[in-house]
Amino acid sequence: MAEPALALVQSSPSPARAQIAFDNVALTLGGKAIIDTISLEVAAGEILCVVGASGCGKTTALRLAAGLYQPTGGSVRFEGEPMRAPRREIAVVFQDYGKALLPWRTAAGNISLALETIGMRAHQREARAAELLAKVGLAGHAAKYPTEMSGGMQQRLQIARCLAQDPKVLLMDEPFGALDAMTRQGLQDEMLALVASTGATVVFVTHDLEEAIYLGDRVVGLLPHPGRVGLELTIDLPRPRDQLATREQPEFLRLRRALFDFIKASE
Amino acid sequence: MPERVKPLLLPLAALLAFEAWMRLAAVQSDSLAPPSAVALALAGALTDGSLLTATRDTLASAFAGLALGGAIGLMLGLALGLSHILDRLMEVTIEAVRPIPSVALLPIALIALGFGYRMEITIVSFACVWPVLIMTRSAVGGIEPRLIEVARVLRLTQLDRIRKIVIPAALPRIFLAFRLAAGIALIVAVTVEIAINPLGLGAGIMTAQQALRPDLMLAYLVWIGVTGFVLNTALMAAQTTLFGRAALIGDGA
Amino acid sequence: MKWSVLGWRLASFAVAAGLITLWQFAADQRLISPVFLPGPDRAWASLMRGFTSGDLLTKLAGTLTHMAYGWLLASIVGVALGAMIGSSKTMRAYVAPTLELLRPLPVSAIIPVAIAALGLSQGMALAVIAFGSLWPMLLGTIHGFAAVEPRLYEVARVLHMSRLAVIFKIALPSAAPDILAGMRLSLTVALILAVVCEMLAGLDGLGQWVLLSARSFRSADLFAGVMLLGVIGYVTALAMDAAESRLLRWQAARR
Repeated sequence: MAEPALALVQSSPSPARAQIAFDNVALTLGGKAIIDTISLEVAAGEILCVVGASGCGKTTALRLAAGLYQPTGGSVRFEGEPMRAPRREIAVVFQDYGKALLPWRTAAGNISLALETIGMRAHQREARAAELLAKVGLAGHAAKYPTEMSGGMQQRLQIARCLAQDPKVLLMDEPFGALDAMTRQGLQDEMLALVASTGATVVFVTHDLEEAIYLGDRVVGLLPHPGRVGLELTIDLPRPRDQLATREQPEFLRLRRALFDFIKASE
Repeated sequence: MPERVKPLLLPLAALLAFEAWMRLAAVQSDSLAPPSAVALALAGALTDGSLLTATRDTLASAFAGLALGGAIGLMLGLALGLSHILDRLMEVTIEAVRPIPSVALLPIALIALGFGYRMEITIVSFACVWPVLIMTRSAVGGIEPRLIEVARVLRLTQLDRIRKIVIPAALPRIFLAFRLAAGIALIVAVTVEIAINPLGLGAGIMTAQQALRPDLMLAYLVWIGVTGFVLNTALMAAQTTLFGRAALIGDGA
Repeated sequence: MKWSVLGWRLASFAVAAGLITLWQFAADQRLISPVFLPGPDRAWASLMRGFTSGDLLTKLAGTLTHMAYGWLLASIVGVALGAMIGSSKTMRAYVAPTLELLRPLPVSAIIPVAIAALGLSQGMALAVIAFGSLWPMLLGTIHGFAAVEPRLYEVARVLHMSRLAVIFKIALPSAAPDILAGMRLSLTVALILAVVCEMLAGLDGLGQWVLLSARSFRSADLFAGVMLLGVIGYVTALAMDAAESRLLRWQAARR
């Protein structure tokens, strides 16, 4: 029973299929093993959620995928090529939106930042920023500074800036963790809709197990000290998902149970 | 390289290079002297007591000015912080007087008081009034409103309210104001002495310059720097022990 | 609301006018010798006379020139050097402690050294003013650059921003509040050092004017000069306020 699962986790990734591939990735920082061999593949267009107890290295794994860290063992590849540095087609949504936005730029200015680096002209940038703001429900807030916005609005703004990169992959690090429950649910659905319209691949790190099941096509559970893959669940819940109906389905509850048991056991 | 050595590297290298350059090029100068000669002059001035007398004179003027100016600033700051009406009424007057640079008062103090301690103390105290006034005013004005409510619930008298609530609550920031004012006091005292007053460290360094003794002049410069540093460090330590590390937060200057 | 603000302003001006009247009264009644304390009328007359004859204007221009050159030089050097030191961890480890050690040094103490090296000259004044105004700006810039939110550097990496873009779009705006605070402090220092240098070296400026007026007991001229120095301090502070509220509009939004 455990044999095939193990074989699946450890199987050598096939570059043709995987958009992001972790191949026996290990990371040691300051003599301490943070991650000890993770092998994982993410297919194009997939929504992969990563959960795990604190200290399991889920944020670190995301930073490896972003190219912000380099692995000390194994390799991280994007479309078959090794990741040496961050790439424009991979956008990162940080959890601490308050720190990741430029406080001295307006909402439009923050989006413009991502457009300036590709040399887009000023009037085009303005139009594109307005379009993206409308897309995340911030039309009419273009001239506001981030500090004048609520947490939910700031996180929407960060997502809009990421979309300005025209990303093939969205890496999201507990993006809704600091928001209240109502705002969080709203943003979950908006994000699903946005992703469905762009077809981007999503790697979504969260500590909220229900959120992981609700959003994901697949959920990976990491074990702590050092971080490694301990569980992989395929989520076969129908889409589009619904905050009430989906969460009441027996399959949802079964998955939730499995994930809870896994986290409990790993702590 | 060990972390503790790094900060020492630059000053040591600079001193050595300077010494080597002065010696090898056999530079004759009225403005520069090799560090070794400066060290000798410093030792000499310390042993014959002239440097210590000068330090005493400068510090006496600086502290007297700080005490006087600080007291005035504290009173005014408390009054303006407690009374919104007074604060608004005095606004224009204070904004008109405050920007006058302290050294501009030097000639006035000179004709009114002549050379000596009194003139220097007057100018130092003028300079010390403002930081203390402004920081006391904002500290008193910015006291947690809940504390004022507590005072009202407890039916404290106005005097008790100031003594038991306002001053203790504002004390860390008032101390910070005095610490900054102490630095200003030393700077102004030395400046006045250099500009005109034949007294203390500032006069000492000017005399050394006019006597074409670069070694002694630089020894005075080093000593003035040491005085400033020791004063600053001592006050900082006092602040930390009295109010804990939290008191140093928001301390930009 | 607007009207009450205006009302308080007027009342505040009335208090100031009352104090000036008191000063006039004290001078008229000779409560204090007119040698030391001229009435506001005489000080004002002297100010007007100085302006019409052009004497005072020349001195004012002299002081402003000394300040401006020294301060501008210090700004350029201070911000450039501060950016270099502040943005590099290695530089900070080696250089910053030495700078902190020098921070409490009363900068006027280098005046004698500058006189010894450069004589009683314009160059001496420029060197002293620039050196004195350099510190607040240098230390402010270092602090500002060192305190840039690391997350923003990661955003810059993800967006593939060039090194130049990172400096001008991330680090410099982030450090702007600290740099401007340093510049404000530097302006005060520049004014004080300009006055002292003019006194010592007899350079054309208000410092020399007030000292000479005092020496010949022309107290009205002396007060006119002091008032003008106050005006310089006030106007430069006002200019800094304007610059700050323009450049740091985003900070006002935070409150």
